Amino acid sequence: MPAVSKGDGMRGLAVFISDIRNCKSKEAEIKRINKELANIRSKFKGDKALDGYSKKKYVCKLLFIFLLGHDIDFGHMEAVNLLSSNKYTEKQIGYLFISVLVNSNSELIRLINNAIKNDLSSRNPTFMCLALHCIANVGSREMAEAFAGEIPRILVAGDTMDSVKQSAALCLLRLYKTSPDLVLMGEWTSRVVHLLNDQHMGVVTAAISLITCLSQKNPDEFKTCVSLAVSRLSRIVSSASTDLQDYTYYFVPAPWLSCKLLRLLQCYPPPEDGAVKGRLVECLETILNKAQEPPKSKKVQHSNAKNAILFEAISLIIHYDSEPNLLVRACNQLGQFLQHRETNLRYLALESMCTLASSEFSHEAVKTHIETVINALKTERDVSVRQRAADLLYAMCDRSNAKQIVAEMLSYLETADYSIREEMVLKVAILAEKYAVDYSWYVDTILNLIRIAGDYVSEEVWYRVIQIVINRDDVQGYAAKTVFEALQAPACHENMVKVGGYILGEFGNLIAGDPRSSPLVQFNLLHSKFHLCSVPTRALLLSAYIKFINLFPETKSTIQEVLRSDSQIRNSDVELQQRAVEYLKLSSIASTDVLATVLEEMPPFPERESSILAKLKKKKGPGAVSVNELEEGKREGGELNGGGERGGDSSAIAASNASTPSPSADLLGLRTGPPVTAAAPSAGSLLVDVFSEAGVNDDGFLRDLEPPTESSDSLLAEGPGDSDSAPPTVVSEDPAPPLPESNELLNKFVCKNNGVLFENQLLQIGIKSEYRQNLGRMYLFYGNKTSVQFLNVQAKPVEPLIEGGAQVQQVINIECLSDFMEAPLLNIKFRYGGALQNLTLKLPVTINKFFQPTEMASHDFFQRWKQLSQPQQEAQKIFKANHAMDTEVLKAKLLGLGMALLENVDPNPENFVCAGVIQTKAQQVGSLLRLEPNAQAQMYRLTLRSSKDTVSKRLCELLAEQF
Amino acid sequence: MMHFLLLFSRQGKLRLQKWFLPLPERERKKIVKDMTTMVLARKPRTCNFLHWKDLKIVYKRYASLYFCCGLESQDNELLALEILHRYVELLDKYFGNVCELDIIFNFEKAYFILDEFLMGGEIQETSKQSIAKSVEASDMLQETMEEYMSKPAF
Repeated sequence: MPAVSKGDGMRGLAVFISDIRNCKSKEAEIKRINKELANIRSKFKGDKALDGYSKKKYVCKLLFIFLLGHDIDFGHMEAVNLLSSNKYTEKQIGYLFISVLVNSNSELIRLINNAIKNDLSSRNPTFMCLALHCIANVGSREMAEAFAGEIPRILVAGDTMDSVKQSAALCLLRLYKTSPDLVLMGEWTSRVVHLLNDQHMGVVTAAISLITCLSQKNPDEFKTCVSLAVSRLSRIVSSASTDLQDYTYYFVPAPWLSCKLLRLLQCYPPPEDGAVKGRLVECLETILNKAQEPPKSKKVQHSNAKNAILFEAISLIIHYDSEPNLLVRACNQLGQFLQHRETNLRYLALESMCTLASSEFSHEAVKTHIETVINALKTERDVSVRQRAADLLYAMCDRSNAKQIVAEMLSYLETADYSIREEMVLKVAILAEKYAVDYSWYVDTILNLIRIAGDYVSEEVWYRVIQIVINRDDVQGYAAKTVFEALQAPACHENMVKVGGYILGEFGNLIAGDPRSSPLVQFNLLHSKFHLCSVPTRALLLSAYIKFINLFPETKSTIQEVLRSDSQIRNSDVELQQRAVEYLKLSSIASTDVLATVLEEMPPFPERESSILAKLKKKKGPGAVSVNELEEGKREGGELNGGGERGGDSSAIAASNASTPSPSADLLGLRTGPPVTAAAPSAGSLLVDVFSEAGVNDDGFLRDLEPPTESSDSLLAEGPGDSDSAPPTVVSEDPAPPLPESNELLNKFVCKNNGVLFENQLLQIGIKSEYRQNLGRMYLFYGNKTSVQFLNVQAKPVEPLIEGGAQVQQVINIECLSDFMEAPLLNIKFRYGGALQNLTLKLPVTINKFFQPTEMASHDFFQRWKQLSQPQQEAQKIFKANHAMDTEVLKAKLLGLGMALLENVDPNPENFVCAGVIQTKAQQVGSLLRLEPNAQAQMYRLTLRSSKDTVSKRLCELLAEQF
Repeated sequence: MMHFLLLFSRQGKLRLQKWFLPLPERERKKIVKDMTTMVLARKPRTCNFLHWKDLKIVYKRYASLYFCCGLESQDNELLALEILHRYVELLDKYFGNVCELDIIFNFEKAYFILDEFLMGGEIQETSKQSIAKSVEASDMLQETMEEYMSKPAF
């Protein structure tokens, strides 16, 4: 039995709703709905004009169907008609429908705006409110354009009814948030601010939301609101609970308004006027006092409202951060809540204390609660409360309690909920680093972290421990010993193997004196884990092995045997196979001197912001972690990362390694490691693995493609450490703008991968490149055509000197992240004679390089062609032939483009059709091409269709220059 | 500012949805799904607040219905609980001992009452009397039971 609705019930609607509720299955429901939709459609289309009531009922049914989750594609017009009804209930349903089913159909918006305009000028307050609600609900730009000028007038007009003022204030706020440029307060500012003095509490409540938002954006213009807000607040706080009649909520006077006033004050610094400030401090004290009074009601609503004001007051106290007395009182108050029986209060107290912990006045006071918080972490039944406790421990951590807190967090990790483990791991890692006094504690902590929550230890965490161990020679021996012991466990996490492999490869010699950890024992231990590891870890272990050969010549034959085994040298994974082959070769032909140089110990890493911190920030979003946290830690704890101590030049390895270039070597771990611009042997690759940290920028320069100018200096530069390692004499000048002919030069390479990119009297730059999927590698050959030296060729990885007549090469790894228009820029600077040569070219990397050819039959081709029929998916050009129209040449060019040239597909044998898929990291973009030559007219028509419009456009541009 | 308010049953059936920001339909459905699964999975006597993306989620159960809203980070959770409570009081005052069925069959009324109370995700009027008065005013054209029964049932 349907509940009979009060008021203007719609019987048909009630019957329909109960029908739907009686449906036994989803299918039955859909059937019933379809029947109803057909019925409504026929009513709307019928010849007989519907009366207002029926129209309202059907519109309401449609709304119900929509809210059930079904699509509605008609009825909008009827709803708009209802807007102009003079019956309130019909108008109301019309507005409701529009509000819920907004449609950016511009024709409709115009009609809706018309109806709104009529209602706004009707001077009927209920109609005006409906119209204002509709504007606020839709809040589109068109509406802002139509009404942003009118609403402030309504808001401040003397004769506007209070209820309309309330709607107008919030409606204006909504429009301001969507289109701030259209809402110009100017002349209205002071009258709006004075709404804070309005007699009607409802008007003040609504207006204050608007004022707060405007103050955040234009604090100066609205600053008079501070004193008004303080006096209003003071009046509320000191009023008896009955003074405010219906604005008293469960014995709390105007809680919503109080909170909003306190929130508004948080947009400003403490008032400068002594009297105002005194009054405000008095208010805050009263609020704190009231919190201590016995409750006037046992209802939770009473305590919630009261405490809401308290928490808002505490936020303001924290915001001012200038009243030590109030801060400490706030902290004590929150301390009481930490053990309150209401879970909500414990949760909020933990959350508020996090911000208090960052104030120097209250940091110590917060710390006194450490035991309670640790207890909360251990015993709270609710995961979200435990999460807040962990956050607070993190915030209150300093040098004095770091060991205790880190230990507690580690032990909590063992049972922590999966959802928060990763964040906990990052926090532990950060605290351990930030407050490490002795680094053996740090190393222990991180290894424990890996042992307890290995799966949640991200790359950044283990990169970081390696960076630190490498930079601190006092901890290297300890680290080697500890990882060696940790690896003894029969089952250890793969991350442990990575750290172990890396550290033993570097510093295994420091523990080799002990017969229990002799070189061969170390090697056997590492190798016992090898087969259980993934490919990247195995690759890392292979590098550790070659380092062993250098550290311990006695292991050479054992390791060579391992490298020589079929499972390595014929491994189906190309990276492993290559490493095995190259390391084997290196170990057998290189003299010990060369080996020692190539496999030299890692130099210290340049000091930089902890990548873990960056990761946590990214995870938590801005504002969650203070940017200078780590610096703070350093101030207290001295040099942590010790980059400066050894005068680190991180690129030394790359440079020294570059002296033995091996052009064809795929040593860089093209797929696993991030691309580096040096053909360094694999020891370098190991370096690079760590180097890459979380940085997005140094992860392949195509990331820098947009805007293209940014990439101009990242090509020859080698990651972030570049500036300290450049030779001191380099003249730092801005890169030159691209040469005018660089576009033309670029076009030469659209259909070919090798050739001379650039040549002048001095320099010749040759290019060889190869592409596979979304990756590519490019070799640049710089030839000195003169007979004298070029000096100061900028930095690595090219040697800083090119002999006369000689040639050096540079390798660039390329990864295509998503489709792009502009080619990356290559900036070259060198000194010839006394003059600095500075030229910028476009690197011939174009989107078509990432094509994978796709063979398909005629039928498939045309089917796909049809599927890509949206106008923006197609790009077409008709152009005059620039070269002779030779079929074979055309074919060769199209093949060079990278697509599959499809024979016997186009009904006209003169035409060419091609198909291919562009591989980018983000997505794959299928593209089809059709080239129709017209020999008589010496013209071509070129058509491209791709699943992505920008790709069609770019390909069309590129190709039009080719024929 | 409140971003959305959802009412759903213990079975996860959505009874009312109010969006204070324009969101594409797909995103709305995703939020509804996330909220229902998250909130319904909560054990009794846990706290009423959750973090979800960069929003604070505040929810409370009244009989068979969950009231759940998404707030911005600077909003006050306790007051949001009381917003939910006041809305329940308003529904209760209007329907008289409100139950889930009242909201199902008179969803449009539930929207109208909400509109008198909140606008653009901010509180417009907190006085129960004022809101009740406005809602009553919109029912001025009341029909008698006979009028109601004489209307077509299709």
